[in-house]
Amino acid sequence: MSDKQNAQKSAKIAAGAVVCVESEIRGEVTIGARTVVHPKARIIAEAGPIVIGEGNLIEEQALIINSYPENIAPDSEGVEPKTMTIGINNVFEVGCMSQALKIGDNNVIESKADLGRNMILTSGCIIGACCQVNTCEVIPENTVIFGSGCQRRVQTERPQPQTLQLDFLMKILPNYHHMKKTVKTTSAVTPAKN
Amino acid sequence: MASLLQPDRVLYLVHGEKKIRSSLSTLYFCRYCSELRSLECVSHEVDSHYCPSCLENMPSAEAKLKKNRCANCFDCPCCMHTLSTRATNIPAPLPDDPSKTAMKKAYYLACGFCRWTSRDVGMADKSVASGGWQEPDNPHTQRINKLIEYYQQLAQREKLERDRKKLARRRPYMPLAFSQHTIHVVEKYGLGTRLQRQRPGAPITSLAGLSLKEGEDQKEINIEPAQALDEVEPLPEDYYTRPINLPEVTSLRQRLLQPDFQPAGASQLHPKHKHLLIKRSLRCRKCEHNLSKPEFNPTSINISSECQVLLTLTNPVESITHVTLVGCEEGDPEDINSTAKVMVPTKELVLAGKDAAADYDELAEPQDFQDDPDVVAFRKSNKIGFFIKVVPQREEDGDVTVSFKIRHDFRNLAAPIRPSEEDDAPTEAIWLTHHVELSLGPLVA
Repeated sequence: MSDKQNAQKSAKIAAGAVVCVESEIRGEVTIGARTVVHPKARIIAEAGPIVIGEGNLIEEQALIINSYPENIAPDSEGVEPKTMTIGINNVFEVGCMSQALKIGDNNVIESKADLGRNMILTSGCIIGACCQVNTCEVIPENTVIFGSGCQRRVQTERPQPQTLQLDFLMKILPNYHHMKKTVKTTSAVTPAKN
Repeated sequence: MASLLQPDRVLYLVHGEKKIRSSLSTLYFCRYCSELRSLECVSHEVDSHYCPSCLENMPSAEAKLKKNRCANCFDCPCCMHTLSTRATNIPAPLPDDPSKTAMKKAYYLACGFCRWTSRDVGMADKSVASGGWQEPDNPHTQRINKLIEYYQQLAQREKLERDRKKLARRRPYMPLAFSQHTIHVVEKYGLGTRLQRQRPGAPITSLAGLSLKEGEDQKEINIEPAQALDEVEPLPEDYYTRPINLPEVTSLRQRLLQPDFQPAGASQLHPKHKHLLIKRSLRCRKCEHNLSKPEFNPTSINISSECQVLLTLTNPVESITHVTLVGCEEGDPEDINSTAKVMVPTKELVLAGKDAAADYDELAEPQDFQDDPDVVAFRKSNKIGFFIKVVPQREEDGDVTVSFKIRHDFRNLAAPIRPSEEDDAPTEAIWLTHHVELSLGPLVA
């Protein structure tokens, strides 16, 4: 428990975000307002900081990790830390794993999906359940990737932001879980358990 | 259980028209012939039609009218999943007072799998949850219907002529039977039921066929032959140079699922009604009785040590069953797949009957079976675990397969009671032998 608190020194959680204590946040992570992080979600910033925008929904056992690429050892020199940016109104469903460095707005990454490091999601994309996508490309807007063969199609409208769900969770989660302390983004304060 | 876990590990040999090896979960057992039957040794008959998503049952006649489609459920034209109806609130002007707007519910169809919605193809939202969705009309329907009527009439005429020829040779008292050939001719165009109608009160005579012709009103249907056109629309000029918008192109499967239109563009893919599935009944071809499920069920295979294999045998009937295992002899014609020698226990194994109450009765005395610990690993109510020794014959990368024969006794409790001289004779036990093949997996070096 105590090393968890030490590691959390760099996590900056904006006011209005709901981050459960059971979630694991390591490294330099910035979380925007109105974002909900469920228990057992993991946000790990190993090889660089992670910036998460507002209104995101990160569900249980989701893993957002900024890790070193496979061919580079963690201790080698000359490796610049790259920031992983995640936009607003994204949904990371249960059990998904995302290593993509740049995620835009209004995307949905469904359960057990797997995003590689070299992907760039624009906005309105839906990565279907259990789809593993690790190509090196920019996914155009409003693309849906689905099926066991990762078929693609383009939808005409972007997925709706989950405002109802977010409001509900922000009311209910504090009744059953302890929350991580939010800080003002200007000063970095060690968050302590509630 | 085999169907859930490892369907192809244990195979049984079925002696039918073809020798089929398949797992027990796909086989049936005919109580009257006392033999295993596979799906190819039985005749399948259509029982009823039902929709797989709303589970609505409908009789075959109604299904035929609706072209074997469900009236309520739709399939996604993109991924063939079932579409679900979703509702949104849209502000709509009240009919009384156009200046005020009230929230009205609008329904649209959406696919949960590929996120296709009915708005993608331009279908407007409906105000009713179900029944508002129509499939687009085929522009050629009229012509097709006319052609069908014309050919039905033609088939009727052909059939009458054939029967008249047959009548000329046959004696007059033979009824106007539907000969095999004419039924096919008639069924070709879907005409079956009409010809079976006779005028009420009139006796069925051999000349009924002729009188039918005058009774039915014979509209002479004339069709125009299809016309061949000389001029064809030329291709657009940029046909070869226009860049392809790949998401807009439909796949072959999507296209052919809509044979009426076969759209090339994804924005014209309309949802179709869901296809119905059938429930079928199986009938043994030899004894013409309906079949029942198999009786025996060897379940799991645990490889506990290198050469010794633990098999579990479960007894599904309520009486004690005796099982003997016999290895396949040299030159056994059925033993084609085994790659290893097997040494099966020579003693007879006894399995207790299935007793549903035994699970709950902890104080029940264990039945006293003298079990050889080298042979029987464990015994629990109606299950027994026993060892067989496997010696792989070939050093190869393929799977190790062993085969042997199971011989067990079977009491047919469902057979009709035959009157016999002794009133209390118990049902006779018959001994059945099955050829079993076990696939044990690849050899580990």
